[in-house]
Order: sequence, then structure tokens, then C-alpha cells
Amino acid sequence: MNKDKNYESNQGEMRSRAISSVFFHPMLYKMIAIMLVGIFFVIPILRLVLMSFIGDDGFGLQFYQDILTDNRTWQVLQNTLFVVFGSTIISLLLGTAFAWIVAYTDIRLKSIVQLFIFLPFIIPSYITSLAWVQFFGPAGLLENIFDSLSIPITGWNLYSMSGIIFVMGISHFPLVYLFTVNVFRQIPREMELAARVSGAGRWMSFSKIVFPMALPGIVGGSFIAFLGGLDNFGIPAFLGTPANISVLSTYIYQKVIGFGTSAFNEAAVLSVILGVIAIIGISLQWLVLRKSKRIETMKVDHQPRYYLGKKKGIVESVIWLFFIMTSIFPLLSMVMTSFLKAYGLDFVWENFSLENYAYILTRDSTLDAIMTSVKLAGVTTIIGIVAGTVFAYFRVRKANTATKLMENAITIPYALPGTVLALAMIFTWMEPIPGWNPGIYGSAAILYIAYITRFLVLQVRSGITAFQQVDIEVEEAARINGTNGFGKWKKIMVPLIAPGILSGAMLVFLSALTELTVSSLLYSSESETIGVSILSFQQSGYTLYSTAFSSLIVVLIIAGYFILFAGQKAIRKRKVRSEK
Amino acid sequence: MSTTLSNINKQFGKFQALQDIDLTINEGEFLAILGPSGCGKTTLLRLLAGFESPTNGTIEIDQKEVANARKVTPPEQRNVSMVFQSFALWPHLNVREHIQFAMDHHRFVDLSWKEKGKIAERIEDVLHTVGLGDFEKRMPGELSGGQKQRVSLARAIAPEPKLLLMDEPLSNLDAELRMEMRHEIQKLHRLTKASILYVTHDQGEALAMADRIVVMNGGEIEQIGTPEEIYYHPVTPFVATFVGKANLFKGTWDECLFQHQGTGVTWEDYGISQQLKEKNLFPIRPEQIHLSKPVPSENQILGKVITRQFQGKEYHYSIEIDGTVIVAHLPLQEKFEIGETIAITPQFQTAKQAEMIL
Ligand SMILES: Nc1ncnc2c1ncn2[C@@H]1O[C@H](COP(=O)(O)OP(=O)(O)OP(=O)(O)O)[C@@H](O)[C@H]1O
Ligand SMILES: [Mg+2]
Repeated sequence: MNKDKNYESNQGEMRSRAISSVFFHPMLYKMIAIMLVGIFFVIPILRLVLMSFIGDDGFGLQFYQDILTDNRTWQVLQNTLFVVFGSTIISLLLGTAFAWIVAYTDIRLKSIVQLFIFLPFIIPSYITSLAWVQFFGPAGLLENIFDSLSIPITGWNLYSMSGIIFVMGISHFPLVYLFTVNVFRQIPREMELAARVSGAGRWMSFSKIVFPMALPGIVGGSFIAFLGGLDNFGIPAFLGTPANISVLSTYIYQKVIGFGTSAFNEAAVLSVILGVIAIIGISLQWLVLRKSKRIETMKVDHQPRYYLGKKKGIVESVIWLFFIMTSIFPLLSMVMTSFLKAYGLDFVWENFSLENYAYILTRDSTLDAIMTSVKLAGVTTIIGIVAGTVFAYFRVRKANTATKLMENAITIPYALPGTVLALAMIFTWMEPIPGWNPGIYGSAAILYIAYITRFLVLQVRSGITAFQQVDIEVEEAARINGTNGFGKWKKIMVPLIAPGILSGAMLVFLSALTELTVSSLLYSSESETIGVSILSFQQSGYTLYSTAFSSLIVVLIIAGYFILFAGQKAIRKRKVRSEK
Repeated sequence: MSTTLSNINKQFGKFQALQDIDLTINEGEFLAILGPSGCGKTTLLRLLAGFESPTNGTIEIDQKEVANARKVTPPEQRNVSMVFQSFALWPHLNVREHIQFAMDHHRFVDLSWKEKGKIAERIEDVLHTVGLGDFEKRMPGELSGGQKQRVSLARAIAPEPKLLLMDEPLSNLDAELRMEMRHEIQKLHRLTKASILYVTHDQGEALAMADRIVVMNGGEIEQIGTPEEIYYHPVTPFVATFVGKANLFKGTWDECLFQHQGTGVTWEDYGISQQLKEKNLFPIRPEQIHLSKPVPSENQILGKVITRQFQGKEYHYSIEIDGTVIVAHLPLQEKFEIGETIAITPQFQTAKQAEMIL
């Protein structure tokens, strides 16, 4: 009897659903979603392109002509190509070498080695620049050390082309490593053994078998490093500006803040050029990666293949010397500098104090910057978790052309160089409808919009991965047991996707917290971010404050990742118990 | 409570996955759906569960329409439950929590249980029924395949659904465990008295467990009947070959007499369907074939032994007759050599004897 009553109420529910479905038709949501994606992700790019053609006297190629006949443009383009290619080659060599060593040899402490490989990746590149200057630069720690040994050397002037190329190469090699290491591991060891029994030597079998098979990964990673080089603003801003070396990203920035006549139009033209170079890179990378699909299905083999024997000690020493020189000492120098009473003093105990930190933590403008960045990162993360997860759910469960195109659209702002995106944001939100300026540009609002559009894809990607790991039948089992709403999400779905979603959220949060490129163009007096604040300290010569601020941020980042890993470990522990 | 599908059609794009399905599942019945891979079994099940909507036709559960081309009652609002082929256990919940979830959320759980706080009692009951009493705190990762299957069964039967859907629930288990679980499922059926719709492509499973079998092929129903009917009186050539593994002989039918094409040997009708007759076919299952040394003066169907497989209590022969190959199962004492020419004679009950079985 009871059951029948139950059933009746369900019928009623069904009827009311039918009525409400007129107003809440799935189609309606779909249209809204497509519209939002169009407005936030596609239109800005179109307006940017339009802006490069439209001036006071209408549509034309005037600005292109101006820009392309300016010698300075060609100088900047040449610089850009030098920097990008130079740094990509360094990343390629380092990334491939480390990937090969970690994947194939029996060196010890691999997990810690990996951690140090990723360090330049998680620390913002402008902080790396700062740290390198404090270590390698004139009056840096290196010079000090050699001085105290009475060996006279002069520091390496990092405010130069070589400085930019090296710091960028170091910052981006983890990308190549990331793309390559699993490709190496997936190449079946039998392939190489087959070559060896056919008479090929070690080098021969590497160059003829392993290397060609790993090529898609290596090339894919190099393209990402190439795109990262185009996108990067922090390194050339910190190291290039004092030496008057401009690359496209910094040149666009200078144009915009220069406020010359038709500054925006010219910046738009430069952005289109930069965007086109990036799109060519993305397309080439896509082509290469598409071919490499077949390798992705192979098994990942973690067992070492080369036993280094006596050479192990040497290889390990070289690796650790590399980390000491590129990461540990530079960061240490930066931290030590941040405690100095005055810039240029010797690193001795009497010269240390907490003054710089006291200054930073009591000054309104730096505290405001921290607040702004934390708020920006927090809001971006929360909106990202909600919107990104909802979208990822539909992308996985209702895969169709519309969601696929939407995903591509959401990727654009992240794939394009940050300067290009920032400019597109200005053009779009200064006057969302021509003739109407709601004051978005010039307030913090534009930063919120820009950050959400830029970083949403990170959350979407991690959401997609998380949902793909939840078998559809696991979800259907909850539905057949009577819940498609709160119960299903609370007890089944959320616990299963939470680890993936949270690590995506952490990535969004930290990326947004230390962001510099976009905010350097979009900030206003009351919305300075951490990155902008460090840049302005540095550019006005307050090295001590910038190093102190940076040290603080590095500590925060490391703490953030530590929390993330500890959390994931705890979750994984539970999972190991419950895995199938 | 009975479930009725009327004129159900299901299309995926241009592909017709189900065509004109008419089917009634009676109260308390164990109905098996049998068919080859890709014939639409899972699709049919998912329509009943509410995970898919029909392109055409209606589904009624308990005289209430739950699906038509325009409107579909979602799974969570139907008084059904399901055992998934992949088990679909929740990796983060232990055995007890699986059943608890079903009891908490299934909308048709007997309210008297909830009111009297008897949920815990019911969970104990179900755990014992499926033999998992000692495993309630285990996580899915700590269970064997058979135990996982039991959890999946327990979760499905706990809310006492009126209709239990099972999609090849035994296909992920090894042969021995499959046999054991057949008994378990039959036992559960007797205990729960729910209607069961059981999907399988294993004819042995269907014949052993079901009250009635629906044989499907290419999105259509070929035949509905009791296991005996399906086995002994296949209606279509497909059912004859798929379920009984019958050999189809070509010839001509004249009312109750079949004349074999080629030799002119005649056989008597033993209850062969009109459809097979119209197609001028005569089905003989492997165990209905008798082999003997040819007698030169007689008009016999002759064949040549191609292979012989020892199967413990019998030999399986494949025999070539005029370019086609047939299969015969013979007891051990009748042994023939490969390459030997032999005579083939059918050995079946007369129509009367056959009827006795049914
Ligand atoms: N979502 C879908 N989209 C398109 N085609 C589908 C979809 N689901 C099933 N099909 C097709 O419908 C047909 C029937 O599929 P179904 O899963 O019902 O087969 P099945 O009888 O359960 O087979 P199996 O025994 O292999 O599980 C198949 O040809 C399949 O490719
Ligand atoms: Mg199936």
C-alpha cells in the first residue's frame, strides 16, 4: 500500500516536471552556455583583430603599414625569435636529457629529482629572474663566494640577451620533460633489445630506435616551450627592460602604457602578429601530437633499463650540481638579499635584518596587492570549480560537437600569449557595447573577467580527467537506486571526483595568485596584484623589497603545494584500500 | 506487477538498434533475453531502466506508462533496480554502505522499514542472503570477483524492486563461479519474487535459469517461449542454430514429409515450425544425428569426417556433406576416423514424444 502511495507522488512529480520543462528546457541552458562562451571567449579575440584594422579614418591596413615599416618592429621581432628559439633549444636539451635519465637509468632519489625538475615551473619566472640576478649577477652571491676564496671573477650580466635566453630555457624545460618522460617509459624495452640483438650498439639503437619513437613527445614538449617563450612577459620585463631589449610581449606592453596616438591600434597589430605566430605553433604542435596517439596506449614501464654502475656517482653529482646552481643557490641568494640592510652589502651576519619584511608587511600598497591577488585567485578558483566542473561533466557525459567547440573556445585565452589576451580584454570590456563604458576597464572587475577567462581551461581539463575516471555505470548505479540529485552528487560523485577537481583548483589558484602578464596591462591604481607590485619595486630599483616580497611568495607557493600533496596522499591512502 | 513494451523502436542516429519490440514481463517471472553480441539486449534493458528513451512505442510498468517517444520517467523514479555487467561498485564505499545507499535513496523502499527503524535489520538480512555477512566492512578493492558480484546483487535486491534488470551479470566471472552464481541467482529469484529480466548471450545460462526466453537477433525478437519450446521447437532458422546449434538441411517440404535435396531421402515432421517449412529447411541438432557405416545398396546421405574432438563423455564430429559442414555429437562407443565416409541418419522423437516433454 505504502509503495503505491509512493508511486502516486512520483507521478505527480512527473507531471510538474512536464510543466516546468517548458520554462527550463535543456535547450535553453545549452543556448545560454553557448552564448556565455561566445561573449567571454570568442568575441574578445574578434574585437582585437578588428581593432588592428579600424582607426579614426575607418577600416584599413594603415596600422599594419605603420608597424611593418618601423625598423623598431623588426628589431623586436628579431629579438623575439632569438629569445624564443634560444630558450627552446635549451629547454629541449635539458628536458630530453632529464627525461631520459629519469625514465631509463637507476639513479637514486628519483622522486626528489622530479621535484627539483618541476621547481622552475611552479615558481613564477619573474621570481626566477630575480633570484638568478642575485646569484650570478654583479655583486651577487657567486661573486661573493669566489671573492672570499680570493679568486677574482666578475658576475654574469643577466640584463642581456643571454640572461633572458638562459632563464627562460631553465623555466620552460620542465614542459619538455613532462611531455617526454612518459613517452620514453612507454617505448617497449623489447624494441631496443631487438635492435641490440640485431647488432646495433647502444648509441646506434638509441639514435635509430628510441629517439625516433620519442620524437613526437620531444617535439610536442618543445612546441609548448616555444609557446611559453612567446607568452612569457616576466623574464624580458625584468631582465630586458633595464638593457633596453624588447620582445613582442614587452613591446606591446610599452606601447599600451606609452599612451601614444593610436597606441592601442598599434598594440593590436603587434598582438595579431604575436597571436598568428602562436597559432602557427599550436597548429604544428597539434599536427605532431595527433600522429603520436598510437604511443599513448602503450604501457608505462617504470623499471630502469640502464644500470649506470660506477658512473652512477658522477651522473648524480652532475644532476645535483645543476640543481644547486640553477635553483637552490639562486633562491638562497634571493632570500639572503631580502634580509640585507642595504643593497650591495656583504652577506655577513651584521648586515642582516628583518627591516625589508617589516616594510612590506606594514605598507598599505603591498598589503593591498596581496589582498587583491588573494581575492582574485580565490574568486577565479571558486567560479572555476563551479563553472569548470559543470562544463566538464557535460563535456564528458554528453560529448557532442557543441561541447567540443566550446572546449576549444575556452582553451583560446590560455593558449594565446597573455599580452594578447589582456589587450583583447581592454578592447572588449572598455566599451562592451560601443558608446557605453560601464567602467569595467579601470577597475578590478576587468581583472576578474580576464583571470576567469584565462584560467578556466585548467579547471575544465582537470574536471574532464576526473569525470573520465568515473565509469558511467557507477553513476547509473546511483540513479537506479533512486537519486539523480543531491544524494548522487554528495555520496557518489563528489567523493570520486574531488581529488582531481581540487588539484585543478590548486593549479588555478597558484597561477592566478602569481600572475603578472595580464595584470600588468589591466591593473588600476586600486587593483595592483602581487606580480605587478614586485615588478614595480624592481623597476624603481627597490631590489630589497622585491626580493623580500618574492621570498614570501615562494614560501607561500611551496606551502601550497605541500598542502596539496599531503592532501592527495591522504586521499590516495584511502583509495588504495578501495581500489578495484 | 507486469511490464509491457509495445511496439518499441530505438534508433541511434540512422542505426536501428531495436525494431517493433512487443513484450510482456509477467509478475514474478524470470525472463531471459538471449542473443548474439550487438543485437540490442543492453539497449532494451536500458530502455526499461530509463537510461534511454524510445524513438517510438510505449513502455508500461504496473499499468502506468513510463516511457513514450516524447516523455520518459527517469530511472530514479521507477520501481526497478539493476545489476550492471561491470558490477559498478562505488570504490569509496564499503559493502554495507552500498546497501545502505540503496535503502536510503531508492524511492520504493517499503516505508514500514523506515518508520520502524528496521533498515539495519534489512541490511543484515540481505548481507546474509548473498553470503556477505562477514564482509560488510570491506571495500570493493578488497573483494574477489564473485564477492563483488554479490555486493552488486545485494545492492539491487535490498530495496525489493518489483523489476530487477541484470545485464550479463556473470560474464565477468570464471566458468566455475558462473555455475555457482547461477544457483545463487535462482535462489534469490525464489526469495524475492521480483520479476527478473536477465540479459545474456550464453544460451546455457538462459536455458538453465529462465521461465521464458526471448531470443533476439539484429534488433528484433525472433521467438519467445519456455526454454523447452525454444530448444525443441525453434521457430526460425536463427533460433534453431543459435540456441540448439542445429544443422539446417535443405530440401522440399510436402505437408508432413521432408525430402532431402540431392539424395531424395525423406524424413518425417517432428513438430517443425511453419516458418522453417516455408523456407524448406529441416533442423537437426548435433545430438540428433546418428552416424553409421554406409550400406552400399541403400539410398543414404553420405559425408566425410573432417575433425573429431574428444569431449569427455562424447565425441564432436564435423562432417562435410556436398560442400557444407555439419556437426554431430556421438557417444564414445561409436568412434569414426578422420577421412572416413559415413552415412547420416537423424534420430529424433516423433511428434508425440516431443510433445510429452513440453
Ligand atoms: N549510444 C549508442 N549510440 C550509437 N549506437 C549504439 C549506442 N548504444 C548501442 N548502440 C548500437 O546498438 C547496437 C546494440 O547495442 P547493445 O549494446 O544493445 O548490444 P548488446 O546486445 O547488448 O551486445 P553485447 O552482447 O555485446 O553487450 C550495437 O550495434 C551498438 O553499436
Ligand atoms: Mg550488452
